[in-house]
Amino acid sequence: MEKILHKERIDDWISALTGWEVLSPALEDGIWAYRPVSGAVRLDHPNTTQPPKGLAFPQREVFFSFEQIKGEAPRLTQILPDTVQRAVFGVRPCDGRGAVRMDRVFGDHVEDTYYQARRKNVAYVGLACNQPPSANCFCLSVGGSPVSTDGLDVLLTDLGDRYFVAAVTETGKALMTAANSLFDEPADADRQQLKSVHTEALAQPQRAVHNPDAVPAKLKASFKSPLWEELARACIGCGICTFLCPTCHCFDINDEVTGSAPLKGNRVRTWDNCQFPDFTMHTSGHNPRPTVGARLRQRVCHKFQYFPENFGMPQCTGCGRCISECPVGIDIVSVVNKVVEHAG
Amino acid sequence: MSEPETYEPKIVAFLCKWCSSAGSDLAGVSRIQYPANATPITVPCSGSISPLYILSAFNKGADGVLLSGCHIGDCHYIEGNYLARRKIYLIKELLEFVGVEPDRFRMSWVSAAEGAKYAQVVKDFVADLKPLGPQDKLKADRT
Amino acid sequence: MINVRDIRDAARDLLAKGEVRAVIGYRRGSRGMAAEPVVITAPEQADELVWDPTCFHNLALYLVEDRKFLAHSRKAPGAPIAIIAKGCDARAIVVLMQEHYFKREEVYIIGVSCEGVGVLDERKLAGHVPGTPTDAAFEGDDFVFTTPEGEKRLPAREVMADRCLECRAPFPKEHNVVFGEDKTGRELAAPFAALARFEEQGATERWDFWRRQFERCIRCFACRSVCPMCYCDECVVDSITFPVAPETTADEKANRIRWIERSAVRSENITYHMTRAMHLAGRCIDCGECERVCPVNIPLRLLNNKMEREARERFGYEPGASIGAASLVASFNDSDPGSFIR
Repeated sequence: MEKILHKERIDDWISALTGWEVLSPALEDGIWAYRPVSGAVRLDHPNTTQPPKGLAFPQREVFFSFEQIKGEAPRLTQILPDTVQRAVFGVRPCDGRGAVRMDRVFGDHVEDTYYQARRKNVAYVGLACNQPPSANCFCLSVGGSPVSTDGLDVLLTDLGDRYFVAAVTETGKALMTAANSLFDEPADADRQQLKSVHTEALAQPQRAVHNPDAVPAKLKASFKSPLWEELARACIGCGICTFLCPTCHCFDINDEVTGSAPLKGNRVRTWDNCQFPDFTMHTSGHNPRPTVGARLRQRVCHKFQYFPENFGMPQCTGCGRCISECPVGIDIVSVVNKVVEHAG
Repeated sequence: MSEPETYEPKIVAFLCKWCSSAGSDLAGVSRIQYPANATPITVPCSGSISPLYILSAFNKGADGVLLSGCHIGDCHYIEGNYLARRKIYLIKELLEFVGVEPDRFRMSWVSAAEGAKYAQVVKDFVADLKPLGPQDKLKADRT
Repeated sequence: MINVRDIRDAARDLLAKGEVRAVIGYRRGSRGMAAEPVVITAPEQADELVWDPTCFHNLALYLVEDRKFLAHSRKAPGAPIAIIAKGCDARAIVVLMQEHYFKREEVYIIGVSCEGVGVLDERKLAGHVPGTPTDAAFEGDDFVFTTPEGEKRLPAREVMADRCLECRAPFPKEHNVVFGEDKTGRELAAPFAALARFEEQGATERWDFWRRQFERCIRCFACRSVCPMCYCDECVVDSITFPVAPETTADEKANRIRWIERSAVRSENITYHMTRAMHLAGRCIDCGECERVCPVNIPLRLLNNKMEREARERFGYEPGASIGAASLVASFNDSDPGSFIR
């Protein structure tokens, strides 16, 4: 299903989505974040500081609560996610592709009930990147594209005063059908313009991983390279790169005690972070990834070697957030290029 | 100001072992009537209090936190209460800075002989806390 | 004006003569115009060093890393390590020495004065410069950017970091060698100006403000990681102190003190940030790195500035002023305020 939507009608479309909570990027306290829509929506954002990942995989979620009364069996109460349907407007294609990867992780081998319950209620209305939203974009190097529809339900392309709206999934069609009368049929001129906008978008200069096909094998050969320590020398061990990543999915599970008489609390899943020194810390005090180099290698190899081995695609989607936000300039594109180059 | 009739503020009272804790005992053995809102935690010295104890008490649900030690000059470790005075001044300022009501936190000097003073400190604290209602700014919402 | 060649010459010379084993400095990064920290160990690497408005980082952090690495590998340090230090960075080094983290003779400080300016705040640059600049340079009281559309000159004040605008000590008092003019006492903006404005609000407004800030925190711990003063091997907020053995019972686990949960929720975030502010009282030298690196823009300097101003006004304490001075919370005066105590 392909339609034309005049820009001034986007708010009417959003209002017509009864039964959906609609989110769009908003600039709040100096950062772009997905927020429930209030007022007019103008999709003129660069990219959000955090991807929409948290809607299906929140930073904190409660699995169940527990209570232990002396002499009785422990009481467990499962806590399932809410069932609100959420439509996210303005998702960049890299983040759509991030969702594809998250879906594989939490659905391929073992189905993660909590992730799936949230995910099936989230729809992504993407926005093609006519211009790279960041100076550190490199989606073309990781099999993506500024006009990719992977993981999206609808793709909008900005044609100046109107959007070209293409449904990608059945959910996407339903979102469009909910406001049928607002859309126009695309004319030949619209299709022509779409084609030229997409061609131009694809031709925009980006950062680049050299010879991306060779990367997994080269990384595999470089596991013991001394280069890792050198490249990670400035790393401060914070969690920015992974907490802002659209595909990082490691988590920790803890019991948060809320009362001791009787003993009660919640079992909680929170994001974890392979760049924190205590991520791999053993009870014995041994840490198999004791250095910044070992931890940087883990992150890079997971994105560019292990994930391709397991799922046939790079995990990284080239959004460039980890590069833009790294406090000390550690740059995943440059790291991959240097290691590959060094491997010869 | 919820339930002003029935609301009883929970106070965590960090009391130095040598003076204030003994002072609270004296209040008890002297049968002085005072509110039962304060849960005492005996500490070696007021100077041993980490600001984290205070933040943690609020985090775990205290409506008010009291810290009491020996009078200046009476510290069994010579200068522990001098150090406490400076440190606690800073955390008190910080709590107010982020918008926590100043009456949520209190510090006093109570000697082992001042059972009546201890009772009065708690009485006053409870009276000041009651109009504030439950503390929910720093309290963990763990649902 | 500092000529970067002087810095390079000094570094090259020190390495060539074996007077230092490494130099911690800045070099051109791969991300746009921004400089990045580097540790060089050979004289020929000295030419990589740069000095420009993107040298934000407080490199004292890497002295701490170096010390930890040496302690871990049980190596003798040998020759001292050299570091390029701005005024604030040098104060951080003084605090570390005051706390006996290392000795004065173990560090060779190559001081660089920020003179009449300071470092860039990249967030302020939007709208001032077309496209993505590829280079930034000091030029008197201006910054000069190289952009796809040619050179663009801006008064530094317009895009400088707030911390630098408020800084009155842009000269590294503690140094072995120093470049640039001493402009101590300059005043580009009133010190604690933002703090004073913030405090004019009532308690309710202040709480509404901080609640919003703390709800946003994602606990990436970049503020802690980037801080040279956060050198504890184990931070109180990481609950790794108590190993769990097979025989550990649920009751035991429940009754252990867990100061802060891992959940990035307001109550835990506020406990973390306030604890950190307290741990930095009298130690924070306002390099502003925590605020710069925060990916969600939490104005952390306000908390640290609050402690700094209280220390100055109530206790006459100036962080990073003297290696021999007692630390703020390990000392006291008879005249310390006490009227708040009943």
